[in-house]
Amino acid sequence: MNHPASRVVPRAAAAAATTILLQISGAAFVYAILSAEEGWQVVALLGLLGFGFYLLERLPWINDVVVALLARVPVVTTATAAVIVLGFPFLVGSNTYILHLLIVAQLYAVLALALNFQLGSANIPNFATGASYGIGAYVSALLAVNFNVSFWLTLPVAALAATLFGFVIGIPCMRTRDTYLALVTIAFAVVVHQLLNNFEWTGGPNGLVGIPAPTLFGHSFADPIEVFGWTLPSQANFYYLAAAVVIIAVITARRLHESHIGLAWNALRADEMAAKAQGINVAWYKVLAFAVDAFLAAFAGTIYAFYVSYISPDNFTFLVSVTIMTMVIVGGMDNIFGVIVGAFLLTILPEKLRAFSDYRLLIFGVIVIGFLMIRPEGLFPQRLRHYGVER
Amino acid sequence: MSALLAVENVTMRFGGLVALDNITFFMEKGSVLAVIGPNGAGKSTLFNVVTGVYRPTAGRVKFDGVDITGMPTHEVVRRGVARTFQSSRLFRDLSVLDNVIVGMHTRASAGVLDVLFRPAVARRELATAVEKAEALLRESSGPLYEQRYRPAGTLAQADRRRLEIARALASQPKLILLDEPSAGMDDAETDALVADIERLRAQHPELSVILIEHDMRVVEAFPEHVMCIDYGRLIAGGRFEAVRANPHVQEAYLGTAAADA
Repeated sequence: MNHPASRVVPRAAAAAATTILLQISGAAFVYAILSAEEGWQVVALLGLLGFGFYLLERLPWINDVVVALLARVPVVTTATAAVIVLGFPFLVGSNTYILHLLIVAQLYAVLALALNFQLGSANIPNFATGASYGIGAYVSALLAVNFNVSFWLTLPVAALAATLFGFVIGIPCMRTRDTYLALVTIAFAVVVHQLLNNFEWTGGPNGLVGIPAPTLFGHSFADPIEVFGWTLPSQANFYYLAAAVVIIAVITARRLHESHIGLAWNALRADEMAAKAQGINVAWYKVLAFAVDAFLAAFAGTIYAFYVSYISPDNFTFLVSVTIMTMVIVGGMDNIFGVIVGAFLLTILPEKLRAFSDYRLLIFGVIVIGFLMIRPEGLFPQRLRHYGVER
Repeated sequence: MSALLAVENVTMRFGGLVALDNITFFMEKGSVLAVIGPNGAGKSTLFNVVTGVYRPTAGRVKFDGVDITGMPTHEVVRRGVARTFQSSRLFRDLSVLDNVIVGMHTRASAGVLDVLFRPAVARRELATAVEKAEALLRESSGPLYEQRYRPAGTLAQADRRRLEIARALASQPKLILLDEPSAGMDDAETDALVADIERLRAQHPELSVILIEHDMRVVEAFPEHVMCIDYGRLIAGGRFEAVRANPHVQEAYLGTAAADA
């Protein structure tokens, strides 16, 4: 009764139809903005998006109703999402530029979900996610280039290496908080970038070249995919791979969020002293947030390295960390869906607004300040947990 | 016979300031101890020493037969000490229900790997926690259960205090420390608080309670063990009537002239 969504108990058939329609319109919108070429098309679509968010702001119950609808028919929701994700490359066809944007957007979604454990759940301002991303990319690339290790093996190894790094920065960070903690992580991000730039064995500023494409059951990811007479460009391989990692990240995020671990993070975000008084080992939970962040970021890094087959320190600057942070703030702290929307928006928009590319950082700065002042909770604010039938 | 809580010769110095000066007292299972004293006397510091927020400069704290001096707070809580804060410190943006579930943190056994790879186990454990939390909210005297899906920050003052107590009870403590639970309450709310504490004792006869109080009406309701701290020193202890009659106590509260009058 307290929950607004319980006012709307739609019938399953209606809910299913609406769910499918909603998701298809969402996908259509993404397709439209990706394929928009003319300036006026982009502006019109952005206007539409802005109007949508304005409606959400004015009529917050829309959000509740949509969430209730999707949760009413979970199987339909998941199936529709799966069909959309699997089918999107067929819709895009041979337009590799759109596929490339989608791959990058998905990798950023993974990174933003990773940072969300810290910034969103536990309010730890970590500016070193870009560094973990870089460590993942470099570890896997070095293994593949020097020792011919298979992609599938480098993936967990890189993740473990980055997690170790997460512990290494997490532990000194426990001695600081707030602004000082942010400074420590900034220092780490800069140090990692400098090390990658100066070490001999990382290729220095030239980076690493010739990272071999992964293969799966004899199918090289450098080759096009052929199914039922359709031919998808080779980028589709990485599109599906990135989608799989997004799914892993979402499942990880959901499981942690809906457990006592997610609650403990939220508790220490709200009041560290009171969290300790509930028996929460605050230091351990903070370090854990660093480790999970690094683990997922390394997954994204590995895929990036094998996708572009060439990495250099400049792919993993401090700026990357700032971009990821912007995505979390804009999308919505501690809201999984919101963070993904943030990642897609902030990957696609700068591409579509190429004319302003010189002002990219300035625009990001304005966006962050604007959001922190006007809507600090982001586009999709965190939601109270509901248990059992109330959901 | 060993006491549940033994505070032995505890001294706490912050630089030149002596916040606690050689304090010694013992507490039995199932008893209520009221700690009184003027503002800044060191009462909250005492709580912070017992719960491991501060490590005492000298002396020992023993709980349930174990030396807990300087143990980290979360360890102390795990051993069965719960507390509330002077200015209520709820997790304001979490729901009322979630606040209580966080209070059960020490009872959660699923680790990170369980949560990630055995979601059914973790989910079952959380479902049990939800049930227990709802039961605790129903037991509480206020309308907390009805408001369980509200952010805790939006509760009325008296309900916040009740929620803090419910949250502290969620860890199934042996000892609960209440730091000025009646602060900011009117007469009717204070009476309700006394009734709450009495009910708490009836429901959990083994539970020991330490109560920091300024409101003598609350102290009067639990007169068996009262101790008065002033300038970090224990100046009087015993039954309420005796402590109230003690000239040192009157002096501490009212000043020398009034005590002489």
